[in-house]
Amino acid sequence: MEKEPIDKILDLAEDLRWKIGDDFHDELTEGIYADAAEIVGDVTRSENSGGRSRLDTKIDRIVTSKTWGFPIMFLILAIVLWITIVGANYPSSMLSDLFLNTIRPFLKDLAVQINMPWWLSGFLIDGVYMAVAWVIAVMLPPMAIFFPLFTLLEDFGYLPRVAFNLDYLFKKSGAHGKQALTMSMGFGCNAAGVVATRIIDSPRERLIAIITNNFSLCNGRWPTQILIATVFLGAVVPQYLSGIVAVSAVIGIAVLGIAFMFFSSWLLSKTVLKGEVSTFNLELPPYRPPRFWKTIYTSIIDRTLIVLWRAIVFAAPAGAAIWLISNIDVGGQSIAGWMIDFFDPLGFLIGLNGVILLAYIVAIPANEIVIPTILMLTVMVTGVAAGEGAGVMFELDSANETAEILRAGGWTLLTAINLMLFSLLHNPCSTTIYTIYKETQSVKWTSIATLLPLILGFIVTFLVAQIWRIFIG
Amino acid sequence: MNYNPVTALAIFGILSVFLFLIFRPEKGGFWKWKKTSKDGGKTLIEDILKQMFHMEESGKIADIHMLRDTLKVNEGKLVYIISRMAANDLLNIERDRLILTKSGKEYALSIIRTHRLWEKYLAEKTGYDQREWHQRAEQMEHLLSREETENLAEKLGNPIYDPHGDPIPTSKGETADFNGVSLSRLPKGTKGRIIHLEDEPPHIYEQILKRNITIDSLIRVEENGKNRIVFYSEGEYFTLSPAVAENITVLVIKDDDFKDPGSFRLSRLKDKERAKVVSISKEMRGESRRRLLDLGFVKGTPIRVDLKSPIGNTKAYLVKGTSIALREDQASKILVKKEKI
Amino acid sequence: MSKNTNTGCESCPQHIPDDVKRLGVDTGDADYVVALAGNPNTGKSTVFNTLTGLRQHTGNWPGKTVTRAEGAFIYDKKKYKLVDLPGTYSLLSTSEDEEVARNFILFGKPDVTVIVVDASRLERNLNLVLQILEITDKAVLCLNLVDEAERNKIEIDERALARDLGIPVVPTSARFRKGIPELTKTIAEVASGEIVCKPHRIKNMPKKIKNAVEKLSSELRKQFPGLPNSRWIAFRLLEGDKTIINTLKKGELV
Repeated sequence: MEKEPIDKILDLAEDLRWKIGDDFHDELTEGIYADAAEIVGDVTRSENSGGRSRLDTKIDRIVTSKTWGFPIMFLILAIVLWITIVGANYPSSMLSDLFLNTIRPFLKDLAVQINMPWWLSGFLIDGVYMAVAWVIAVMLPPMAIFFPLFTLLEDFGYLPRVAFNLDYLFKKSGAHGKQALTMSMGFGCNAAGVVATRIIDSPRERLIAIITNNFSLCNGRWPTQILIATVFLGAVVPQYLSGIVAVSAVIGIAVLGIAFMFFSSWLLSKTVLKGEVSTFNLELPPYRPPRFWKTIYTSIIDRTLIVLWRAIVFAAPAGAAIWLISNIDVGGQSIAGWMIDFFDPLGFLIGLNGVILLAYIVAIPANEIVIPTILMLTVMVTGVAAGEGAGVMFELDSANETAEILRAGGWTLLTAINLMLFSLLHNPCSTTIYTIYKETQSVKWTSIATLLPLILGFIVTFLVAQIWRIFIG
Repeated sequence: MNYNPVTALAIFGILSVFLFLIFRPEKGGFWKWKKTSKDGGKTLIEDILKQMFHMEESGKIADIHMLRDTLKVNEGKLVYIISRMAANDLLNIERDRLILTKSGKEYALSIIRTHRLWEKYLAEKTGYDQREWHQRAEQMEHLLSREETENLAEKLGNPIYDPHGDPIPTSKGETADFNGVSLSRLPKGTKGRIIHLEDEPPHIYEQILKRNITIDSLIRVEENGKNRIVFYSEGEYFTLSPAVAENITVLVIKDDDFKDPGSFRLSRLKDKERAKVVSISKEMRGESRRRLLDLGFVKGTPIRVDLKSPIGNTKAYLVKGTSIALREDQASKILVKKEKI
Repeated sequence: MSKNTNTGCESCPQHIPDDVKRLGVDTGDADYVVALAGNPNTGKSTVFNTLTGLRQHTGNWPGKTVTRAEGAFIYDKKKYKLVDLPGTYSLLSTSEDEEVARNFILFGKPDVTVIVVDASRLERNLNLVLQILEITDKAVLCLNLVDEAERNKIEIDERALARDLGIPVVPTSARFRKGIPELTKTIAEVASGEIVCKPHRIKNMPKKIKNAVEKLSSELRKQFPGLPNSRWIAFRLLEGDKTIINTLKKGELV
């Protein structure tokens, strides 16, 4: 291999580069487009010189208009969320009935028949199986409804218009208009929202969208919010107001999440991310009628099942851990008991308790299992007669019974409010953390995305707790 | 435990103030410590060299008092460092006057080279705001080794000018020509092209940025009085105070070269007007510039406003059959000309 | 138009009209490698899915495919590996997806490069097409979304286009599987060398650039006589592309 001639070529290239100056790229692109224009002039005939279809233009005039732009947008988002939350109820309860009331007793019987030792059947069925079953039952239906709806809007071409309408707000906080969509996707599932940030092609804005996606209240947290709001906030006002109060509280939390998203986007773009390259371009593609069944199929395969699979992979060991810490005794108390004692002071300081903190630690794989874990641990600590024993997660059909157990665990209105806040502001679930790592390939950004909401959560709940205790008691 | 919510809040407050003081961006104690911890006078020596070089360029001679005032260091330390520099053959001391030696000049030029290359790097390859370039380059110029500087130059394609229009000295210490005149000295009717925007002092630079005055724009001086200077450029009239105009350098051009006064910024294109792209401003750099070119914003492309966002100034423009949304700051860096119908 | 196929079951095997066997992700031992390039939002992924029988999600979003997808099909006893490159507007910039696409076409040396373009937005799409034609001379233009163009009253003379570009042009409407058999056949003919392309080379360049490119590329051809894309290498050298410089230094090109 001769090396010299190559160096000569490279020197020549360097020399020529100086001669032709800085504008090479511009001039080359201009040249290519000039060729393109010649060819197009040669081969096409068009009656529509603007190139955009009349119908598209008409639709665009409406969906981006000052009068109709925002109402249409909010209406569509509200409908999508409403269909998801309401529509998921029935299949969810069917699934949990199937998993918990049919399959579980069957497995238990089977374990007894084959003489499986109690600890093994407890570990496998009460631990691993329960966590997985719970995650599937609670997670699958809303995602199977939300993602196809979202994908239909995406395929139709409406979503870029939403980004266009909202760009100003996001620009103010240093973000990209397309973040509106990854954020909405986060209402379904943060992990999916993080994957969706691929549509943002500017490095800085994409990182902002990834790190702040967790501030979108995801599917796994809606039920927690609704339950706590109904049981505690709804109960302090007269009966006829309780529904409205509960709903407004949940919406308030979601809006607060959006506020935090804007705030931390702004903070990030002004500090750690200010050196990342930032560009903006947003193409508004032509509208295309989506192909319904194909969309349903691909969105379920592509988004729902992948996310669900990841959640199951993480949930199984968590179920095992929950069962083990509740059932292994050290020095006369279960490991869970020791941990709860350890976390109690910190929990008290931020208006929560050790049970809640422990639940958030062991339930990191999925927000869906936080409430069942809290209930199980509370029963274990207080000795209230309910549930299915140490290490077995459960939930109750009756809201009042749930409230009674929690009150026995020392819960007050402050605990409920702070739990709602903490549920919004804490680290992303492990599926999301893993997804963030896969998307960014960076430990640094993954840690920031994990710790930022957690720190905010501690600060906010701490402040609320102190102020509450000073003024209310 | 003695718990009291008021005490807890107080402790929290004190802790936050403490952390803020330490980690506050730029001014925090932590960053200051980091900046000065591993230095050993190198930064000061290089700052002295640079300062002396700029003074000699503008025909002044440096002395210790001047240096003390501009660099804000205590005199004892300064005297010690200067004697060390004299011993190392970087400068000569002639009574109270300080004069750079040949090797001192070369050293100064290499610092300036690193500084301007780093500004170019920040402009082309990162997203830092232009207000920050100078400060960051001020720090980086002391940190990069000669080899790193040369690698950087190669990576950037050996640029000739920095983003403010200042020539970058070559590794051999040569500088490209620079024949600009300050805008404040141009009589009415002069035509020219802006070739340099001075980034110091920051408050004047801020004024220039706020007016959206950009490098490479063609201008025509309309009025030059004691209190204000007015010039026309890219479809707009700009009024400046003489102090601001002082910091804008213009290359005077002949009437024939002053092409096309009819071009204006895309951001000012009205709803139903049709126009053609004339050029993209030099201020649109790096990846952003390439994207715009790839999307078809090239000379001669027909363009018109397609949609306006219900809030803010983001607009979608119809270019080569596709609607592409741009923010106002992008649109203000694209020059267009109305199409004759 | 195309009312017969849009039934929601177009992915069922019995609907496939040509003698193509779709192999999904089974890409081992392929006879030919086919690269699939194109602007974002031109239906490139739909073409990919239709050819391979895979069901990659395709959103109506510019820039959806970020990672590289692979699939395969068998046509006329030959196995073709299909590589779906990220959708890009150009190959001249520094962004990651453009680098992936550029390096694959240049170093991966696909036997055929299929360039998918949106018929309604031909001019914008030709930017990429003309760049690819500087790199490779075995290419097929897939003129996609012709149904949409027809609706927008845009008529394209495919023969003239093929003549101007110097490569075969196949009009398709991949969503409705129109033109896919013709596309497969053309791919096979270009791969086997039955069709020889004479690709268009960029003409409209300022003199000083033209001269610089000529000088550099003739120097390159002297050094590497077999180099099919010396002009493209010259472009990249003039842009200061580090990857190309390093490959040249290592002598790994050609």
